[in-house]
Formats: sequence, C-alpha cells, structure tokens
Amino acid sequence: MKGERLGEFEEFTLLAVRALGDNTYAVPIQRYVEKVTARPISIGSIYAALARLEQKGFLRSTMSEAVAQRGGKSKRVYTVTPSGLRTARDLHRVRERIWNAIAQGARS
Amino acid sequence: MTRQPRLPRPARWLLRLSPMPRETRAEAEADLHELFVGRRRDRDAVHAHWRLYHDLASLWVHPRAVERSATRRSSLALMRDATLALLRDARGDLRYAVRLFTRQPTILLLTIVGLSVGLGTATGAFSIMNAAVLRGEGLVDPDRAPGVLRTTDRSVSTAWRYDEFLHLRQGSTRMQVEAVLTDTAAVWTTTARTTAAEADAPSAGLALVSGRFFAATGGRVIAGRPLEGADEQHAGPPPVVVSFVFWTSRLNRDPQAVGRTIRIGRTAATIVGVAERGFSVPNSCLLWMPLTAYGAVYDVKHLSALVKRTPDMGVQVFGRLLPGVALSEAEAQLSGVAAALTGGVTASESALRVRLDSHVGLGRLSSSDALGITVFVFVVIGLVLLLACANVATVLVSTAITREREMGVRAALGASQWRIVRQLVTESLALGAIAATIGLVFASWAIPMVGTMIEAPAGTDLTPDLNVYLFLGIVTLLTGVGAGLAPAWHGRGADLLTPLKGEGARQNRVAPRRLRSGLVMTQAAVSVLLIVVATLFVRATFRAASIDVGFDAAGLYAASPGLSDAFKDDGAASRIRNFWARAMPELQAVPDIATVTLAEMTPFGDITRTSITRDAPARVVNFNRTRPEYFDAIGLRILAGRTYTRDEIAAGAPVALVSQSLARAYWHDQSPLGQLLPREIPVSSTRPVVIAVVADAITARLHERSAFAAYEPLDPASERFAQLLIRVASGTTDVIDQARQRLRSIDPQADVRVTSVAARLQQEAGRPRMLAALTGMVGIIAIVLCVIGLYGLTASVVDQRAREMGVRVAMGAQPRDLLRLLMWDSLRPVVLGLAVGAGAALLASRVVVAAMFFGVSPQDPMAFVGAAVILLAAAILAVLVPTRRAAAVDAAFVLRRL
Repeated sequence: MKGERLGEFEEFTLLAVRALGDNTYAVPIQRYVEKVTARPISIGSIYAALARLEQKGFLRSTMSEAVAQRGGKSKRVYTVTPSGLRTARDLHRVRERIWNAIAQGARS
Repeated sequence: MTRQPRLPRPARWLLRLSPMPRETRAEAEADLHELFVGRRRDRDAVHAHWRLYHDLASLWVHPRAVERSATRRSSLALMRDATLALLRDARGDLRYAVRLFTRQPTILLLTIVGLSVGLGTATGAFSIMNAAVLRGEGLVDPDRAPGVLRTTDRSVSTAWRYDEFLHLRQGSTRMQVEAVLTDTAAVWTTTARTTAAEADAPSAGLALVSGRFFAATGGRVIAGRPLEGADEQHAGPPPVVVSFVFWTSRLNRDPQAVGRTIRIGRTAATIVGVAERGFSVPNSCLLWMPLTAYGAVYDVKHLSALVKRTPDMGVQVFGRLLPGVALSEAEAQLSGVAAALTGGVTASESALRVRLDSHVGLGRLSSSDALGITVFVFVVIGLVLLLACANVATVLVSTAITREREMGVRAALGASQWRIVRQLVTESLALGAIAATIGLVFASWAIPMVGTMIEAPAGTDLTPDLNVYLFLGIVTLLTGVGAGLAPAWHGRGADLLTPLKGEGARQNRVAPRRLRSGLVMTQAAVSVLLIVVATLFVRATFRAASIDVGFDAAGLYAASPGLSDAFKDDGAASRIRNFWARAMPELQAVPDIATVTLAEMTPFGDITRTSITRDAPARVVNFNRTRPEYFDAIGLRILAGRTYTRDEIAAGAPVALVSQSLARAYWHDQSPLGQLLPREIPVSSTRPVVIAVVADAITARLHERSAFAAYEPLDPASERFAQLLIRVASGTTDVIDQARQRLRSIDPQADVRVTSVAARLQQEAGRPRMLAALTGMVGIIAIVLCVIGLYGLTASVVDQRAREMGVRVAMGAQPRDLLRLLMWDSLRPVVLGLAVGAGAALLASRVVVAAMFFGVSPQDPMAFVGAAVILLAAAILAVLVPTRRAAAVDAAFVLRRL
C-alpha cells in the first residue's frame, strides 16, 4: 500500500496539475503527461490517478461552469492542495539528496 | 446553441458498459470526445479511433477508486459489478479446475470424449433434421396449402389435365389455385451448346409452375423477382428462378446472376431471380420456370406456343386457401366448379369432384407428419444428451466423493454453499466448452458424410445455419450446468466435520452411492431405449430395402417416349401407337433384353390409379392396365387361371387378374375364377370377370404395403397413356443405353426417358433409411457412451473401495469372491436400468408412427433381446477391466497405504 506516499505516475499527474496552472482538467493533464513522458497515456489511468490523489488529499476538485466548447457540459477541475505540494517537494528533495550522494560518491 | 459532442456510437455503448460511475460518465464522454477530436486533427482518423478505444479499455483496466459516498447506484450498475465480480471469481474457479483436471487426465479424457461425442451427435442429428424436416422446403403454412385431388366415385388422382386446371383456377373463389409439374432437365450454365458438353451436363430438378406459384407457396427471393402471373405469357427466352443451392453450387454465388442466360433442356432461359435459402418447393427442386415453358424445355415444337395449345399436360394442382376460408368451404366451391368438367370422364363415372387434402400438398411431409418426426428426433437427441450428461455427472460425482475432503476444508474455511456449487458448475461448463468445440468439429466432419450416406437430395442444404449453432450453445450450457448440479446436489448440506476426519469416516454414507447407482441406471435405461429404437429402425430399413415387393426390381426399367404431352394433337395418339409398334420389335431384337411390355402404370412411378373400397376398413386397390407379358416381365407368378388373350385385349373385354391378397380378402378359400369383381370395389363401366389370381406385389406406396391390385388388359385406346417396361438379362449394363438410343432413333421428336425401377424403389425406401441410419449411429454412440461412463465409474468406485478390498483379502476372501462382489455391485444398476429402458422403449415404439416400420412389429422381440444382450455384454466388458485389477489387490500394500 502506498498510503500517503506518491507513486511515480501519481507524481507525474500531480506535477502536471501544478505545471498547467491550477484549475485544469483531465484532458490537458493527459496531453501533458503524454508529452513529457513520451509514452502513450490512457485517459483511464489519468482518471484513476486523479481519483487516488484526491482521496489522499493531494488534490482538490470542483465542478466548473458549463463550457460552451464541451457542448454545455461542465468539467471537474483540479487544484493541488498545500499537502500535495509539500509531498511533491519532499519527494523531490529526497531524490536530490540521493543524486547528490551519487555524485559525491563518483567524485570521491 | 452548441453542438452536443458525440462519440462514435460503439464507443458510447462501451462507455455505458464501463465501470465508470454514472455521474461521471457525461464528463468522461466529453473528455474522450475532446481527445478524439484533437487527435483526429493532429494526426488522422485511424489513430484517433485506435486511441479512443484504447482509452475506453483503460476505464476497465484502471477502475477509478470507488468512492464510498452515499451516492445511490443504479440497479444496472450493481448488476454489472456483480457480473464483473463473478467473472473475476470464475477465472479463479477455472484456473482451479484446470489444475484439478491435469491431475486426473484419464477421467478428464473419458469425460471429454463422451461429452464431445454426445454433443457432436446431437448437433449432427439436429442439423440434418433441421435441413430435412424442420426447415422443410420452405412452404409457408402448409396446412393452408392443400393438394387438390381429382376425384370421381371410381378414382382419386393427384394429376389434372392442364385445361382442367385452367378451368379450376378461373372458377375458384375461395382459394388461389396453382399447378406444378416436376421433372428433371439437363442444365448448362453457359449458353454455348456443344454436342460433347450435352452428354455430361448434370441434370437438375425442375419445377414448371403456374404464374402465381411463388405467391401461393410464400417463396421469396434474395435477388431479382419471383415468377409472376405475367410470366405465363413470356416472349423470348423463358424466365427462370434459381434456388439458393443452385446459385451457390452451380453459379458460384455470382452477384450478377440475375439477367444471366443459362440453358435448360433445349432452350435458353433468363434468370430473373434467386430464391431465398431454404426454399425448394416442391421435391427439393433447383429451378422454377413457368408451365408455359414446358414445350421449349423439352422441345415439343407445337407446344412452345401458348397455353391454350397444351391442354393435356398432366399437372399437380394445389391451392392456397384465402384468409378465413375453411377447407370444407373451398372444397365445396371448387367441386361445384369441377362438376362442369366432363372431358375425360367416362359415362359411368360420376361427375368430377374435388377433394382437398393438406397431406398430399406440396410439402414432402405434411406438417403433422413432420411434427411427429421432429418430436421423435428431439426425444432421441435429448436422450443422447441425457446420456452424455449422466456420464459427466457420474464422473464428477465420483470425483466429488474423492473430493469430499477438499469440499469440507473449503466449507470449514468459510466457503458458502453457492461458492462450492459454482466451482462445480464452472468445472463442468469448462468441460462442456472443450467438448462442444470438439463436437462441432466432429459434427461438421460427419454431416456431409451422413448427407451422402442417406442420399440427401441435391437440393438439400446441409451447411449448419444459425439454428444449429444456437442449438449447440444452449445444449452445451444445459449439459454443463446439469452435469455440474448433480454432484453439487450431492454435496449439499455436507457437514463440516466428517470429511475432515479422513477417509475412514465417510465409507458408510449411502447417499452418494444411491446417486451414482441412479445415474448408472439412467444411462443403462437410455441406452437400451436408444438401442431398441435403433434396432427397430435398422430392421425396418432392411425390411424396406429387402421388403418383399413381390418382384425383382433389379434389371427392370421403365421408359416413356416423352410424347405423351402431345396426345390431344390429332396425329399424336396414332403417333404414339406407331412408336410403340416400332419400339417393341426393335427392343426385342436386342439380345440382352429379356422381356418388353407395355403397362399403364409402371412400378413406383409418379402417378397411381387407385380405387378405395366401400367396405370397412376401406382399402386401397391399385388398378393397372397391362399387356399380357407384364407379369412375365415384372416376374409375377400367375397362381391360378390365365392372362388375357389377344382378342380380349383388342376388344377391351371386361376381364381382370386380381392379386392373391385381394382374392383372399373377398373369396377366402374359394376360387375367384369366373366371378365378378366384388361390388365393394368401385369400377368404371362393366364389372370385370376375374380370370386369374397373381402373386402379390407392392408397386405403389411402399409404406402402405397395399398388395390389393387388379390388372386389366391394356386396350389400344389406352396405349397412349402407357409406359414401356423392359426387363434386361442380369449382369448387363450397357444394354439400357443401347435401348435408349434405339428408342430415340424411332422418333426424333421423342424425348425418351428411361428410369430404373430399382432406383425408384430405393428412393421410396429413402426416408426410413435416413432415420435408420441416424438412429443406428445414435444407438452405437449410446453404447459407446454407456461403456465409457460405466468404465470410468467402476474404475473410480473400485479405487475408493480399495481399502475395503484389502480388508476382505486380509480376512481370507479369494479374488474370485471379490470379483463377484464388485461385478454384481456394478452391474446391479445396469440390470435395473435395462428393465426400465425396455419398458420405456415399448412405450416409445408404440408412439412412433407404426407406418414407418414397414411391417416390423413395434414389440419386435429381436430388437429387445438384441438390445439387452448388446448392453449387458458392453457393461460386463466395461466393468471387468477395473474389477479384475481391483480383485488382484495386494492386501498388505493397500492396508499400509491407508
């Protein structure tokens, strides 16, 4: 169980929401993740990741106003919560430390 | 106004089926659409579609975390989730089943073989019946399409003259009256006609029909149009509608078939339509042409003009009752119309009447007949399946007994009853699916073979259709569930402790043994039933094939000059007489031809002349006019008296020869010679004097077995109706070709057709032979299934009782004692089943139409004794192998092992 931790794909998704500026929705997220990872990403996996992240409290979602381009349908927009941001940063820091250690190891 | 984003329809359907919660589905649809549009714009439609369905699939692969909110879920969603869960569980069950099966390969193999043979047989039998009976010839509502019989108080005939038909058609107000004439003609699918090709052009069944035939029969076309009323006045090449089978086999499903010109007989014909699959009324024919094309096809020059010029063509008339009209009402109205007809009715005969009879309509089998056969076949199929089912159940029960401990553990660990039942049903369904696949392969391999074996007519379409696949699917499901439920039933309410205590504790349970015995009994009973019925049929077939028709059909040929259609023409009657006058000496000069004679009716020909006696029970008397050599040619002994003299023939004297049965029925032990034909038999003109008694012969309907016959001299006036009967010396083959050529050379206009009486007889015996072949095979399969089942069962029972046997041996039992004990235990249910099955067979064979049995009594002791002996022998064999092994048990080894 990942508990309150982030999996790789969840991390990508979370960071994508942040990168796209808050109040983004599933389609741009999918496109973004697909672009940066350069591998085909299915919408189902994005939905699942978003739902899990929301359950863990890293994302918050609201229903937007009806949008004309989408045939008058509203969409669920996501915002990264402070706890989500903190966790992502922690993760980043951990990685940085490890990479640093690796770099030092290589130097010594 | 914005346009609603719409996904492609299949995608929308898939989305609706997906595990997405309903509230988020609209949103997902919008997302998918947006992605789809974007991808189509950026790359191409194919890529967009591919990704779309990929995305849809991902909704299943990555189900969204279930939100345990209080949102109400629709019952559909609940059901879907339950199904998904079930499928997931089934996968586990299946995996477990596979593991289990691989541990018991022998039993598994036996079960699969048994089940696939059962399913294959059932499928094969069903396809053939489907083609032969159920699908019929495609006549819509045959009970409302009765045959129109030409009736006087002297005769009943199926044949009307063409002008009579026209009269009936015009006068009928209660039903649509149509006519048909079936024949065969050589057919070339090209118009080129060379003499070389002419010789080997395959002939096809041709139906010459009146204009609105298709409307009356309900026949439809898949291309072009059916024949219509206007086609009777065709100009140029006559129109023809080809059957689906013809279109498939001879025209290679040519999409441009309509409009194509083919050559039929001596004329070119234009294809105007292709009949729908399954329509082959009447007599599984392949082609339909207007009656008016008759002259063109058979090149009878002066007939190729208009209808009015062909008044004497003999046609079979049938009708379609108008909606709401009762049979009797139409019959009365049509009789009124027929009463005005006088031509062809002799003075002493009453006026023509019409009898409508749906049993002699166009369908080969009337619907009630078909119903009987259908019921019969379904019962047989059901029995075979029951057998296969019992087989699988037996195996599963015996494994279930071994697996009782496992079930106990499962139950103890908290598996619900339902869970255990499901495991068992999954196992048997898995077995069923494997078996169904093998069975289908088996059936598709066997069906064409059986088709040739039973000599299915060329027009029969034997390829399995949707009905067959549906049948197989449903049957597999039923068999699987049925076979799985039996052991599950046995396992119900098992207590948790006993099985866990180990093998010793459960030895005394009676229930499984009883269930097992019951299954074995069922198998034995069903087998006996099937074997008895099969034996009856096989014997009936032999009876039909070797049925004492009273004469030797081999080497006997009937020939018609093909001029009979012309007899209204003034010169024609004398032309036919001349034809005969020249043909007789011509043929007699051929060294290998033993006898040549003329007769009005040749054996098993299309048309019969009968009279129905006035006494009860009414009997059918076949009338025939013959030359004196007839009896010699066909091989009928004259038991008393003499044949007609030349003078009697020339004068048309009222004399008659009667068959032995008829003589015995009316004169008992006295001699009928010199007596008048009894009053109970209606006759025309003067009542003839009996001058001889001849041996019985069956020359008309085989299954009627009517040997009542009266023969009168063939006077010169009737010669034009006659056919030639040729008896060739045995062992000669090419003599008939020689005869045909000689006959053709007599009159270039003649379309001489020679048919073998033996072939006609064979055709007549065809239907019961087909049923016999089928049930015979089913019977053999029943035995095989029974042996497999018994063997598997005995093997596993003996295995379970190994400990008991060991104890017995240790106590001093001899192998012989063990053998006796085990044999008796295994055979007891078989014997019981034998008794039950024999009883059932007795009932069943009474139900089956006795007419089909050709004089074999339904209570034929041979069949019953035979079945019992066969089954017992098979059972003993099946039981002997495993019991012998068990009896040779090493006590020390067994006791140590347990």
